[in-house]
Amino acid sequence: MSVTPFERAPDNPPTAAGTTTGTGTAPVPAKTAGSTGTADQPAGSSLGHRRHHRPGRRRLTRSSVPYLLIMPAVLGFATFKAYPIAASFWISLTTGNGNDRRFTGLANYKRLLDDPLFWTALKNTALILVVQVPLMLGLALLVALALNSAKVWLRPLWRLGVFVPSLTGLVAAGVMFSVILNRDAGLMNWALSLVGIDRVNWLGSPFWARVGVVLVLTWHYTGYNAVMYLAGLQGVPKELYEAAMVDGAGPIRRFFSITLPQLRPILLLTVVLSTIGTLQLFDEPYVLTGGGPDNATLTVTMYLYDNGFKYFDFGYASALAYALALIVSVLGIVQVRLMGERR
Amino acid sequence: MSHHLSRRHLLQLATASAAGLGLAACGSGGSGGTASGADGDSGKITVWSWTSAAEALRGVVPSFERANPGITVEIQDVGEPAIWDKITVGLASGGKGLADVLHIGVDYLPGYLDKFPEGIADLSRLGADKYKDAFADGLWPTVIGKDRAVHALPWEVNPLGLFYRHDFFEKADVDPASLTSWDDLIAAGPKIRAATGAQLIGLDKPGTTQDMDFFQNLMQLQGAFYFDHEGKVTLASPEAVKALTVIKRLNDGGLLADTAGQGTWKRLISQGKLATASEAAWAVGYMAEKFPAQSGKWRVMQPPAAVPGGGRSAIVNSTYLTVSATSKRRKAAWRFIEHALTKPAEINRMYTSGSVFPALKAAYADPMFQAPHPFYGGQRVLKSLVDSLSSGSEATNFTSDYSRALKLASDAQSQVLLKGADPAGALQAAAAQLAQQTGRQQAA
Repeated sequence: MSVTPFERAPDNPPTAAGTTTGTGTAPVPAKTAGSTGTADQPAGSSLGHRRHHRPGRRRLTRSSVPYLLIMPAVLGFATFKAYPIAASFWISLTTGNGNDRRFTGLANYKRLLDDPLFWTALKNTALILVVQVPLMLGLALLVALALNSAKVWLRPLWRLGVFVPSLTGLVAAGVMFSVILNRDAGLMNWALSLVGIDRVNWLGSPFWARVGVVLVLTWHYTGYNAVMYLAGLQGVPKELYEAAMVDGAGPIRRFFSITLPQLRPILLLTVVLSTIGTLQLFDEPYVLTGGGPDNATLTVTMYLYDNGFKYFDFGYASALAYALALIVSVLGIVQVRLMGERR
Repeated sequence: MSHHLSRRHLLQLATASAAGLGLAACGSGGSGGTASGADGDSGKITVWSWTSAAEALRGVVPSFERANPGITVEIQDVGEPAIWDKITVGLASGGKGLADVLHIGVDYLPGYLDKFPEGIADLSRLGADKYKDAFADGLWPTVIGKDRAVHALPWEVNPLGLFYRHDFFEKADVDPASLTSWDDLIAAGPKIRAATGAQLIGLDKPGTTQDMDFFQNLMQLQGAFYFDHEGKVTLASPEAVKALTVIKRLNDGGLLADTAGQGTWKRLISQGKLATASEAAWAVGYMAEKFPAQSGKWRVMQPPAAVPGGGRSAIVNSTYLTVSATSKRRKAAWRFIEHALTKPAEINRMYTSGSVFPALKAAYADPMFQAPHPFYGGQRVLKSLVDSLSSGSEATNFTSDYSRALKLASDAQSQVLLKGADPAGALQAAAAQLAQQTGRQQAA
């Protein structure tokens, strides 16, 4: 990373730093959720609830309690999310340093379109998305079906085993896999050599580095999704299966006609969440490959991070963030429309 | 399928968008309010550094506190590279949460001075100018900001040397004195490999870590870098192409080992699979500490020239101590820097404990810089490095866009080493992109 001495870079596990969510103190919004009412009457007034009105309890009516309860969350969101999001949009329209920012309109966005590294990062992210998400979710579904089967012994133990990887810190997982995938001294190549397969240059060839990243992601998140599916499976009414069996449906038919349709909401949720997660992929490639070799595993978020925190180009980094947010939103709409419930 | 979104869909969508925008918030920065500092001369000051350097600084604290009653010092080992993120975020938010004293490398200092001109304190005001000639040649220009004021004092300077396995060279019957340029080494490499099985040198070929010191050294030996002194892009200069061509020839000749991956370089060295290491002065202590089993087998020579007949000295990099502008105790912080970096006894104490090679010229009078080093078979290693400093190395202009240049050069190097790309073509593409991304001109 840096050329500073004392430790050669290869001997130093890189420390992934988290991203910051904006800076400065946010002005507390003058209007909080508690003070917004419906169009025709202010919230907190008891006009609409004459039937429940008791003298002396004017301020805390049944309709204002929910607003009070969500107020801390809304305040937190406004301060730590909404304000930085808005500030970030403003910054994406400017260029300059620190407090010396000049408004440049859409220049950062134009620059984005001409930046080959942005397209490379987008292509890599899309490739990982298209390959890894279906692979992981398919695998998670199989695991969930197996764990849901009454024939499996020691089910709680298996469930725990499947879920544990998702509790591992992302950076720790990245460091662990960089050791496992080391070409000369890694566990993976040693295991492959036992069955007579040549050493694979896991992190040194563009193709295998991508495979490595997919491997880490799949290892990390499959169990998490499997547990979600398992919860869904356990919610499918038994009567449906019994009725189908009476009608003579075999296991395959039951899976496609009952299990999958019943899992649809959970499937949609996992697909959307995994898509968002993959589009924001950062930690694993950052630790594992540094985005290399030759940018084969550079993701949009890594490029964003580099621009913000290595090149101090906050305007451009903000533009990247907004471009990514737009892509996430569009994909979200598409997925919801394709997979959502038909009405 | 309906054509208008149901309420539930809108909710789902809102969630998705919020998740995406949550990320957008990460791109923010640089708009914080500016905190203001003060010239306090007493109280507690904090210092950010990393690993062995932090340890070395701790050794200075007792004598400083004795000489300056009323000031206490806390040294924090923030870790490297984490320290750059911490400093960047602090500067971007108007100096909030920064330590009083910051240890900064030459690869970051110009960027900080350029992008956060208000962030690093003006030390000229506190009397730093009197040390103008106290440090190794070529360093002083790097501490001057756009305001022509001094913003840092050099702590460490790293002249380049070529560390080599004396026993391997003997076995292969190669005379180190005959190796005046990398051409000579490329010619001798196969002999060394045949006799010992060792390759000449190692590099992280895929660039999992940006292993660009060697490429930079080969440019610096020719008095060139990514940028010229006017800040124009010179990444595709003839010198840069020559440097990358040397690396390509080493690779094509099977003399370049791949050191990608955690601890690979260390492992190859300890297994005797590398015959040389192109490293800077800090490695003198590092090698002795990490590979005690190889004591007596290593020597250090002047770096071979990148091109036959070319220059044979280069300053690889340097690090500095600075004061954050928002420190409430700028005077106390400056006192600490002055104490640690301008007193030969203190700076040499730090060299002994942390291998931080001093930039202070007065430090070299200490007998230890003349002493034979047992790990290097009794060779006076430090003397040769000090001598190379006085043979005049050019100051390198890192500019505020060094990180971007490093990234693009690293990509070009990987393209050459992994895909057999042509050095000139890869560097031209990288230089064009560097110019496009930074708005800098390319030098003719």
